[in-house]
Amino acid sequence: MSMEDYDYLFKIVLIGNAGVGKTCLVRRFTQGLFPPGQGATIGVDFMIKTVEIKGQKVKLQIWDTAGQERFRSITQSYYRSANALILTYDITCEDSFRCLPEWLKEIEQYANSQVVTILVGNKIDLAEKRAVHRHRAQDFAESQSMVYLETSAKESDNVEKLFLDLACELIREAKQNKLDNSDAAPMLGEGKSISYLSCCSIN
Amino acid sequence: MPLPVPEVPASRRLALDCRTILDHRVGKGVCGCCGALRPRYKRLVDNIFPEDPEDGLVKANMEKLTFYALSAPEKLDRIGAYLSERLSRDVARHRYGYVCIAMEALDQLLMACHCQSINLFVESFLKMVRKLLESDKPNLQILGTNSFVKFANIEEDTPSYHRSYDFFVSRFSEMCHSSYEDPDIRTKIRMAGIKGLQGVVRKTVNDELQANIWDPQHMDKIVPSLLFNLQSGEGVESRSPSEKEKESPVELTERCFRELLGRAAYGNIKNAVSPVLMHLDNHSLWEGKTFAVRCFKIIMYSIQSQHSHLVIQQLLGHLDANSKSSATVRAGIVEVLLEAAAIAASGSVGPTVLEVFNTLLRQLRLSVDFELTGSYDPGSSIGTKIIKTHGERQLQEAVIRTIGSFANTLPTYQRSEVMLFIMGKIPVPGVHPALSSSCSGPEGTRMIQIMLLKSLVQVTAGFQTTNMLTALPSSFLEPLLSFSLTEDPEVRLLVIHILLSLIDRHDNRPKFSTISIISDISVLKLKVDKCSRQDNLFMKKHGQQLYRHIYLGCKEQSSGRQHYENLYNLLALLSMELANEEVVVDLIRLALALQDLALSTEESMPVFNRCAIHALAGAYLNLICQLTTVPAFCQHIQEVIEVRQKEAPFLLPEDIFIEGPKLPPSLDKVEGEMLFLQSKITEVLGGSGYNIDRLATPYVPQYTDEDRLSKRKSIGDNISLPPEDESRNSPEKEERTPAEEITFETLKNAIVDSVGMEEQERERRRQVVEKFQKAPFEEIAAHCGARATLLQSKLNQIFEITIRPPPSPSGTISSGYGQTQSRSVPVYEMKFPDLCVY
Repeated sequence: MSMEDYDYLFKIVLIGNAGVGKTCLVRRFTQGLFPPGQGATIGVDFMIKTVEIKGQKVKLQIWDTAGQERFRSITQSYYRSANALILTYDITCEDSFRCLPEWLKEIEQYANSQVVTILVGNKIDLAEKRAVHRHRAQDFAESQSMVYLETSAKESDNVEKLFLDLACELIREAKQNKLDNSDAAPMLGEGKSISYLSCCSIN
Repeated sequence: MPLPVPEVPASRRLALDCRTILDHRVGKGVCGCCGALRPRYKRLVDNIFPEDPEDGLVKANMEKLTFYALSAPEKLDRIGAYLSERLSRDVARHRYGYVCIAMEALDQLLMACHCQSINLFVESFLKMVRKLLESDKPNLQILGTNSFVKFANIEEDTPSYHRSYDFFVSRFSEMCHSSYEDPDIRTKIRMAGIKGLQGVVRKTVNDELQANIWDPQHMDKIVPSLLFNLQSGEGVESRSPSEKEKESPVELTERCFRELLGRAAYGNIKNAVSPVLMHLDNHSLWEGKTFAVRCFKIIMYSIQSQHSHLVIQQLLGHLDANSKSSATVRAGIVEVLLEAAAIAASGSVGPTVLEVFNTLLRQLRLSVDFELTGSYDPGSSIGTKIIKTHGERQLQEAVIRTIGSFANTLPTYQRSEVMLFIMGKIPVPGVHPALSSSCSGPEGTRMIQIMLLKSLVQVTAGFQTTNMLTALPSSFLEPLLSFSLTEDPEVRLLVIHILLSLIDRHDNRPKFSTISIISDISVLKLKVDKCSRQDNLFMKKHGQQLYRHIYLGCKEQSSGRQHYENLYNLLALLSMELANEEVVVDLIRLALALQDLALSTEESMPVFNRCAIHALAGAYLNLICQLTTVPAFCQHIQEVIEVRQKEAPFLLPEDIFIEGPKLPPSLDKVEGEMLFLQSKITEVLGGSGYNIDRLATPYVPQYTDEDRLSKRKSIGDNISLPPEDESRNSPEKEERTPAEEITFETLKNAIVDSVGMEEQERERRRQVVEKFQKAPFEEIAAHCGARATLLQSKLNQIFEITIRPPPSPSGTISSGYGQTQSRSVPVYEMKFPDLCVY
């Protein structure tokens, strides 16, 4: 078998209300562009990006879900296998912040119990329209033991940091073997066909 | 292009090939030198790539590679690994021409190598497909999908323990939702996604080692993706002819969906259908109905028919779960149920028959409650949603139709059971308070009554039974007839409808749907069978109740044209289906009694009703006289009708049962030749051997059990009643005694004619055994109960005959229900109808 082209593979799922900028965040990160007039995502969108962290190649599978209610059933099915969830809201939209507890409930219901969740307040470029104060969000995130980050997909603020921090955290978790082996190990169809042996020896 | 592989000479040819390659290498100079250091499989792989990717795969070299792989299968995995390595590199360097070539080579190798070692090679292959699918270039995605589909169609004989299709399911589902800007490419990506899903399903569905494709985590992706495409194609019908030759995304999706469902085993149906329900919920597709119905038509036609009741159960469960959703949503679900039940036919109900009906009836009641209270939650003071009465009404209609549709799929014995079940749910004011609706009061009770009776109309429609006694057991008939006493015209009409459905066994009902004087009934082409023994028993048992129901139904002032038409129909059907000589006599008496009723001055009845009753009696006598085929009888009826035609057309159905009939100011002049004469009829029928004594006795409705349901019970121990009451109460006595005599005679005949009876007896026994084997407990119990009652009444009759001389026609003996019993055994308590007491 040839060597894999990565050391780690993580699945990241973006969730949050419609129109908070999930797709823009992903586009900014994977393609380095900000698509103006981005339409609503249909169902789910897929992007992939490999990053290098401390000499290790980390492949990030990013599943960008639709925020619209009508696609809720298909998007929920993607939570389950996620290693990390990016819960996004729009700092200029009070509603999107108020919905966060509902999203957390969904996460609890559908996602893996060991999933890493990060709260992201997007659109800080529209600071003059800010409706949710930073401290409020910070407090909320702390109460739910989540990391909080504010980003701007338009200005590219904190977008790299968001994904790289997340990748670091996931590596750390993986190293601590906290993650469920079956989930942390790359899919066998995706190449690491003999890794189950090493898993067995570790356990 | 997999080549046919000659079995025996393969190795020899390969050896030749090898020599050729070696020879060539020597002449290749520097490159050859480098090449010589590389393993042979790598050289073979390198050689299939042309200098210019435009040239495509080097076919000759590809053949060599294929032969090599075939002869040295142990090298296959390395070939695969090397090819995939090259491919990854080419993807990264955007050399898409080479990517395509590598994929083609992988495909060909895969096709050519149907052997054990394919297993390891597949790992490389799938890694490549995955690599292509990870790309954001549509062409590569489609290329990868196509390869995957080819792979999916290969049947592997070696199980693979460590392969997961999670990524493929996720990615293909995502592709199904593609929102690529260019619509053509978008369609291509979506179709690729669908084909990919189809491939995954094919690959995994029969492989027990694979992650179960039916797990919710996969189904929740696959099914909504398919439905999304099924739905998004709706309305895009205008396609150019050239496009029509190709399969549209919708057609492809439907085919794939059908294939998926067709493969679902018993345990998987739930996981496959749940996402459908969710999808329809989330996309609010119940309201529109068409798509939901279409989905479930596909489902019902695709799944294995023995599983269809599972789908129905899930739909019912979903209906319950949506109890508080808007009426349109519930109506949509019910509509789907209706369609699904019709498709599943016999398999739709499954083992839990009554549960199905219970759910539907519960929905009916909830809907009535919602309509009346105007809120989905009677507890809360603030109705959050405004309930539209119209929507609830539509829902109720839909539920009722669905009940009928389900009942149609049931065998006869289960239908009787369902009839009894529904009957048991009908609230009777004051009798079953616990069953009546919780919060909507008398109006709610009435609405539920009507709803449930309408359901019964549906259930009984098309009901065919050979045995009236089992079709209409006392436990069903008595409560049913008790509703005929209500003042609510709608309820009464429904009761008649139900009776008509049950009694009509030869589709004669439509022939009497309008009331008219038919001069020659042969035009109706009536189908009549001889009355069976069970039918005779039935009439003996319930005839009086039915006559009385008809009589009182005519008497009700709120009866309208429809009532009279249906009562006429009922009379006609009784004469068709259940009439022996005795019943004919009773029916004629009933018709004459109706005429008397219309003439009676005691009753304060509107002119319309009087005319209607005259017309009804006339039309019916006209029918029955032709059925009896007694010329003199026919003549008398004919004469009266002719007189009426000349002098009083308002006494004939043709003139009264029309829009805006012309009514006379009073009916004082109705007399003489306009009326049917009891004496005349008795005389002419007596000549033909009919029971004159009985005919000469005027019919007066008797009061029976059913009255007691709603009327006061009285207990007394007096033996004889004041003479004034005699005439009112005697008929039952007179009617019963001759009836018993005939039975006795038939009994005697049976003993004498035992040879002929033996056959019948055997048949009867067989039926009994069959019934006890198949029938539900309630039915058997009811049947036994009915027999006990029969025995009781016979005993009564015998007591009466032994104690007293047979009664004279003039009726000197007063009698009420159960009185005979007290006469012989005076200590017994006796129940009297109200009339007897006053």
